[in-house]
Amino acid sequence: SMAGGLEPHLEALRRELHGPAVLSVLIALIAVAVTFLIWRFVQGRRSSRKAVLLLGLCDAGKTLLFARLLSGRYRDTQTSITDSSAMYRVSRDKSTNVTLIDLPGHESLRLQFLERFKAAARAIVFVVDSVAFQKEVKDVAEFLYQVLVDSTVLRNAPALLIACNKQDVTMAKSAKLIQQQLEKELNTLRVTRSAAPTSLDGSATGGPAQLGKKGKDFDFSQLPMKVEFVECSARGSKGEEGEADLEGLEKWLVKVA
Amino acid sequence: MLDFFTIFSKGGLVLWCFQGGSDRDEGMMGAAGTPILTAPLLQERGGNNSFTHEALTLKYKLDNQFELVFVVGFQKILTLTYVDKLIDDVHKEFRDKYRNEFQQKGALGLLNGTFDFKDDFMRLLRDAEESSKVRAPTVMKTFEQSLKSQKTVKCMIETRGEKPKEKVKNKKNKGSKKDGTEAVAAPSKASAGDKQLSAAGEKEELTKDEILQKNREEFFRRHMKAGEKSRSPKPDAQKEKGKKPRVWDLGNSNAKVLDYSNSATNGSAEACPVEEFDPDMALGDKNREPGRLYDLEYESDDEAEEEKVVQNPSKASVKKGGLGGMFGMLKGLVGSKSLTREDMDPVLEKMKDHLIAKNVAAEIAVQLCESVAKKLEGKVMGTFTTVTSTVKQALQEALVQILQPQRRVDVLRDVMDAQRHRRPYVVTFCGVNGVGKSTNLAKISFWLIENGFSVLIAACDTFRAGAVEQLRTHTRRLNALHPPESHGGRTMVQLYEKGYGKDAAGIAMEAISYARNQGFDVVLVDTAGRMQDNAPLMTALAKLIAVNAPDLVLFVGEALVGNEAVDQLVKFNKALADHSMAQTPRLIDGIVLTKFDTIDDKVGAAISMTYITSKPIVFVGTGQTYCDLRSLNAKAVVAALMKA
Repeated sequence: SMAGGLEPHLEALRRELHGPAVLSVLIALIAVAVTFLIWRFVQGRRSSRKAVLLLGLCDAGKTLLFARLLSGRYRDTQTSITDSSAMYRVSRDKSTNVTLIDLPGHESLRLQFLERFKAAARAIVFVVDSVAFQKEVKDVAEFLYQVLVDSTVLRNAPALLIACNKQDVTMAKSAKLIQQQLEKELNTLRVTRSAAPTSLDGSATGGPAQLGKKGKDFDFSQLPMKVEFVECSARGSKGEEGEADLEGLEKWLVKVA
Repeated sequence: MLDFFTIFSKGGLVLWCFQGGSDRDEGMMGAAGTPILTAPLLQERGGNNSFTHEALTLKYKLDNQFELVFVVGFQKILTLTYVDKLIDDVHKEFRDKYRNEFQQKGALGLLNGTFDFKDDFMRLLRDAEESSKVRAPTVMKTFEQSLKSQKTVKCMIETRGEKPKEKVKNKKNKGSKKDGTEAVAAPSKASAGDKQLSAAGEKEELTKDEILQKNREEFFRRHMKAGEKSRSPKPDAQKEKGKKPRVWDLGNSNAKVLDYSNSATNGSAEACPVEEFDPDMALGDKNREPGRLYDLEYESDDEAEEEKVVQNPSKASVKKGGLGGMFGMLKGLVGSKSLTREDMDPVLEKMKDHLIAKNVAAEIAVQLCESVAKKLEGKVMGTFTTVTSTVKQALQEALVQILQPQRRVDVLRDVMDAQRHRRPYVVTFCGVNGVGKSTNLAKISFWLIENGFSVLIAACDTFRAGAVEQLRTHTRRLNALHPPESHGGRTMVQLYEKGYGKDAAGIAMEAISYARNQGFDVVLVDTAGRMQDNAPLMTALAKLIAVNAPDLVLFVGEALVGNEAVDQLVKFNKALADHSMAQTPRLIDGIVLTKFDTIDDKVGAAISMTYITSKPIVFVGTGQTYCDLRSLNAKAVVAALMKA
């Protein structure tokens, strides 16, 4: 009698399902779901790691570099307090584009903005002021250390270029010297940062990651990503009207894109 | 005259610049290292839109929709009235003229566009200057025009006993002085009263004498009751008649009369009458169990009432909105709605109260909310974001920004540097009484010893009883934990003390030179706790710091402090700045936040302290054992702060 009670109900249900209204509703729902999935997929593809970040200390020349790469002209700049981004055509032959993102270098803002954009980074250009480097070496190394031990950066291992800017000034240090000094400083920082008191919520400040290999002195070749050093000058040695000296940087961008 | 005017994007590109002054303003544009124009925005002091830098006053305006900043600079000594209007006009015109460039995607519009704004700007400037000059200077009235010439001389003469109306006016304006020589003062007062008369209005001129009479009577009446000072001629006259000795009520009687105690009554029961004793009234509650202590009854009715009261006005406003409100809400959810002040105000009020409830100092919460409002005004919201979420997001970013250190926080690195130069690294601890200076000093020395640095503790607290003994106990314990044998025969921690009552600055200087001779890596100087209002003690502290030039001046503050934090830090910094001889005075370099384990999630003191000084929190103390030393995690603190 139970089965008998159910049968007419099942019949009614089957009849309903075959009805045109319900079927069309079902098809519509499936279409919406598929569109949604395709949209998410395309979004993900489009924004996945096509960004090149310009990082560095305050007054390193990131915004001017950004302006030069995109428009070729010299612009006056002020301290950035927010990020700027634009599409950059890497070379005239290839049609690949990358999104150049210029992040502020000020101490209170830099980590926040790095958090926001680090997941999308395909490559990182770390701009260093070669003239003030001697004075700022500890701050440069600290910021570079914070970038390198970040878990997302370690996971994605974006290519890293350290651009030694302001080479038009005679007192600028060479890229080789900057590399040596940074390696020495990062070597010391490994020890002091991991010895710092643990953070309030338990996570260590230096991160569980150890930079480079233990036991050996720190070397940029020990990092999981490719690191290169290049000299450049955003202002250009021929004054503001002339061209900027960005060959090395542009070649690297072509390689990376 | 305007010295300069500049328009730049928040991303850093200068779009247009005008320099009316001399070329010395080059410093503004090419500021090396320290950002001058954007400093207030970075420090979240954006509530007040004008700030000074050297000899210039700078005013700025934000356009949050297109991410632009407009800054105008003029000489501090001038007060130009047309500046605000000029900025607004320039903003509107610039935005309208270059709307196309701004609406292009990304920064390409800004990079490729040419912003030739000079002619428009000069025109606007000329208009603004002229509009401020429109009002002709007021011409002084001639004597014939004034009211004084119309008064008769008679009514201005004052005779004793008469209180003319002018005096009443003077009292009202608090200009009254005690008048011993009334006759001399009278004419001057009369003239002063006259000016007020003429200012008061026309109708009083008509029936002046009548009004004078009326007011005189009223004045009499009032002063009969009060017995005021201005009647001093009369009481003065009375007193001079003859001095009578004052009679006290009980003055002439002797002690016996005053002694009301009856020595015979103590102990005997008959002396005092038996009073009517009502046990019910004395005991009160009849139903209580004898001997039991009841709990405090908690009334939660007040809270429910408050909630009802709060809900009613909001319900009323919802009803008023009705259909329009529905559409507004829908429009707000989808599409581009730009934020206005009215939208943000209720949310900001709530956030401000929330911050204050979390122990952020009240004035800082207000300033923070103002700054966030300025940053968000006019901003276009994205789809599916509500006003609340936008404001909360902006406030969260602002809080993280405040807590990020503006200088490096790496004590070990600096100690290593000093080690290389063969000099000790000197750290001074200062703060008010009872915040935990000595305890945290011991914790920090433990941490330094663990990292292999030898420490000399200088006991410069020569005032508080037991301060030296406390440090000696810590030294003994630390040496027991890290005996010299495990560190190559070197004593890792030693105490330098000279007992009590001596000059703290002198002891510090001797301790530093002792450390240099003996090769200690770090010197930790413990000072006495002092209230920020105590001027001589603050001077002594400033002298200690100015004379010894420590590498790090740490202010120790407890996390329990509320609005006091602002006062403490401001006064400490001021004292250090005032008493320093140097060009750039040594101020507080960092903060140690103690007793962090006692606050639950009311972590607002961290925000208050870093906001006031712009210096980082170097250490956080979370207990009384040697391992209870932490470093600050900005994200965790902000999360605790924003938690509901």
